[in-house]
Amino acid sequence: MTTTTVTPYRSAQSAGRDGFWSVLRAEWTKFRTLRGWLLAALVAAALMAVLPVYLAAAAHGGSVESCTATGCQIEGSSVAVGPGGVAVLDSFYLVHQSLSGNGSITAKVTAPTGMGLLPKPKPGSPILPKTQPWAKAGIIIKTSTAAGSAYAAVMLTGSHGVRMQYDYTHDVAGPGGKAAPLWLRLTRSGPSLTGYESADGTHWTKIGTATLPDLPATVQGGMFVASPAAQVVNESFGGGDNMGVFPTAATAAFSHLRLAGGWSAAAWTGSRIGGAIVSPDSPPVARPGGHSLVHVCKTCGGTVPEGYRQTPAGFDVEGSGDIAPFVPIVDAVQVSLDGILFGLIAMISLGALYITAEYRRGMIRTTLAASPHRSRVLAAKAIVIGLVCFAAGLIGAAIAFPILEDKLQAGGWTGPAWPHWSLTSGIGLQVVIGTAAIVGLSGILALAAGVITRRSSGAVAAVIGLVIVPLILGIVLPPRVADVILAITPAAAFSLQRALPRYTQVSNACAPYHGCFPLAPWTGLAVMCAWAVLGLGLASYLLRRRDA
Amino acid sequence: MTALSTSGRRAAGAPLTAPRRPQIVTSVHAEWTKLRTSPGNVWLALAAVVLTIAVSTLASEVVKCPATCGADTTKLSLTGILLGQAAMAGLAIGMISPEYSTGMIKVTLAAMPRRSVMLTAKAIVVSAVVAAIGIVSVLGSLLAGRLIQPHHGFTAAHGFAALSLAHGPTLRAAAGSVLYLLLVALLSLGLAVALREPAVAATVVLGLMYVLPLLALVSLSRVWQHRIERWTPMEAGLSIQATRNLAKLAIAPWPGLGVLAAWTAAALIIGYLLLRLRDA
Repeated sequence: MTTTTVTPYRSAQSAGRDGFWSVLRAEWTKFRTLRGWLLAALVAAALMAVLPVYLAAAAHGGSVESCTATGCQIEGSSVAVGPGGVAVLDSFYLVHQSLSGNGSITAKVTAPTGMGLLPKPKPGSPILPKTQPWAKAGIIIKTSTAAGSAYAAVMLTGSHGVRMQYDYTHDVAGPGGKAAPLWLRLTRSGPSLTGYESADGTHWTKIGTATLPDLPATVQGGMFVASPAAQVVNESFGGGDNMGVFPTAATAAFSHLRLAGGWSAAAWTGSRIGGAIVSPDSPPVARPGGHSLVHVCKTCGGTVPEGYRQTPAGFDVEGSGDIAPFVPIVDAVQVSLDGILFGLIAMISLGALYITAEYRRGMIRTTLAASPHRSRVLAAKAIVIGLVCFAAGLIGAAIAFPILEDKLQAGGWTGPAWPHWSLTSGIGLQVVIGTAAIVGLSGILALAAGVITRRSSGAVAAVIGLVIVPLILGIVLPPRVADVILAITPAAAFSLQRALPRYTQVSNACAPYHGCFPLAPWTGLAVMCAWAVLGLGLASYLLRRRDA
Repeated sequence: MTALSTSGRRAAGAPLTAPRRPQIVTSVHAEWTKLRTSPGNVWLALAAVVLTIAVSTLASEVVKCPATCGADTTKLSLTGILLGQAAMAGLAIGMISPEYSTGMIKVTLAAMPRRSVMLTAKAIVVSAVVAAIGIVSVLGSLLAGRLIQPHHGFTAAHGFAALSLAHGPTLRAAAGSVLYLLLVALLSLGLAVALREPAVAATVVLGLMYVLPLLALVSLSRVWQHRIERWTPMEAGLSIQATRNLAKLAIAPWPGLGVLAAWTAAALIIGYLLLRLRDA
């Protein structure tokens, strides 16, 4: 600190705000003029552009979800296009008649009861609940019996209580607190459908209202039961995992059926909505006892019961399938974008070197003599390395994304669940800017680790340990532990690379390595930002405390 | 630098024909002294043991049998090696890279001009240290698994015996894990000699260690998954830990460790050749 004794006249001029800009300019000059550093950043950007495309080109659509010896992939065969072009599952058993104009339907419904896993799993497989959490039994009003048509329904579920759902993506929870069986009512008035629940059939509570603008005058309404396929993952922690998709079925009793308004007053008709329930499928076989069907899955050696039976009080209905948005298990975009990791670790080492090289060569003493405000130096360095890393990530991801999208489409990742996202679509921007943000924040973390450890190898190891190792632990440890690790470490930000939507009303056996992260995209980014801020805070404190 | 100065004094004071300790012995002594006295190494060794056993214990604690009875209990109890290997690599890189940063390498090579002896001495010292750390970590991890796993359903009723070194495959996995750590450390040493810059060496080693396996785990191409599992050093090497479903492995345990050994030999040879060819 000899500078203050030499220049006593300086006080007349205020250092003011441009002090920071000159520090920033100095730090940028240091980065720019160091031989090979810009080149290293460009090489990292090129790696981030090339490897994701290569991974996407090697990915074959459908190689993960298919019919294996242990279970049939039933979802792919019955994916329909719902309102607004969303990929949906619309596969269930419906006992219905037509409704012209306005009217309402009321019924007392028991909670759906599962009929076990069909076929029976091999011994040693995980034990699943007999009733699927999202098994559904309730009343529905639907444009037509065509798969993917608009609808609104109130229902009891396996373990998520009373819900009102409409047009596949909308899900409203009932007030709750009442035990099944419950009374449910659905009222149509023009385009709006209102759902109610009641514990006794006299005191009604409104659940929600759906507006379906394209609902025709004559619609189909009635009782339905659905039970989503169970996704069974046999994790063996070392021996790899194998996944089977098993059809399930549920049954529910409907009583005290009351219709009001323009119902056709014809006999009830039982229909299977949606395509084949098991694939490969054989034609449904009639069961003795009337209006019942059995679907036979030849390859899995099981049968799925469906149908309805009149009882003194009303109807018993058995059904299989689901009415929900369809989300593929594997997010091919996210998985392909793991190709940025090599470029990312290159930028991490650059971020660490940006400060540790100064310590090694003693340059840090010159830097701190020139601008004694140490936090200001650190802030300038963080801005420079953060922006350089962000730019490298942005260039890499922006080049990679459109090409990898083309490769995925060409590789069979097509259909309603896989729209062709352009670079400027919401998903494209989220994925590309998110990737750039991950690289930028990793660079800042590496800088902070470099100040804290003052050793480049230690800093690189610390940041790779925080950003990339959690991804591996997320694979080798069971999902609930993986979810905790991936929610609290900076690796949470990788959720930004997910392209597929997420819905709470769909249970998906989706693990982090399939592209499912516990946190929502921008929440994940916030976690990584918090780490960067903490890291810089600690680095700033140590930089001020310690001798250079 | 006690070893260097003693041998220097002896060389000056004694006739040239006097019996001297072999070069390799003095070099090993010197390297051991450097390793022992550089700051942080003791902590790194302690951290390696604690981290390995902690992660192994966590893995044994969270995997339970009625949910996942397909678990390979031996491999599960050795999960911590995944993290411990990074500390081993750090120790090995720390043997050589900082010498280039500080200029210490010039002193080392002035005292021991024969590159092959210097590199061999470093390899011997790092092997001994890593073997000691590895044995403690592996035994601790197995002990944790043996104590914890029976409480989580891995019992005789489900067809699981308590982990024991008397069980052939478990003994192979345990001894193989120590050898794995040894080979990882030597691979890191070879790469560190070749790359010099510690940040670059750490990045390359950790990339091999974590990014390549990650790409295999997430890859949507079964062909590439198989290739990576078969031919990359860490993935192939870790197949030594498998005790169940051996037929499903991309490469059998010992050949897998052989792949890692081949990578290690290549890295050491390249490191040695560059050490000979380049100025320090």
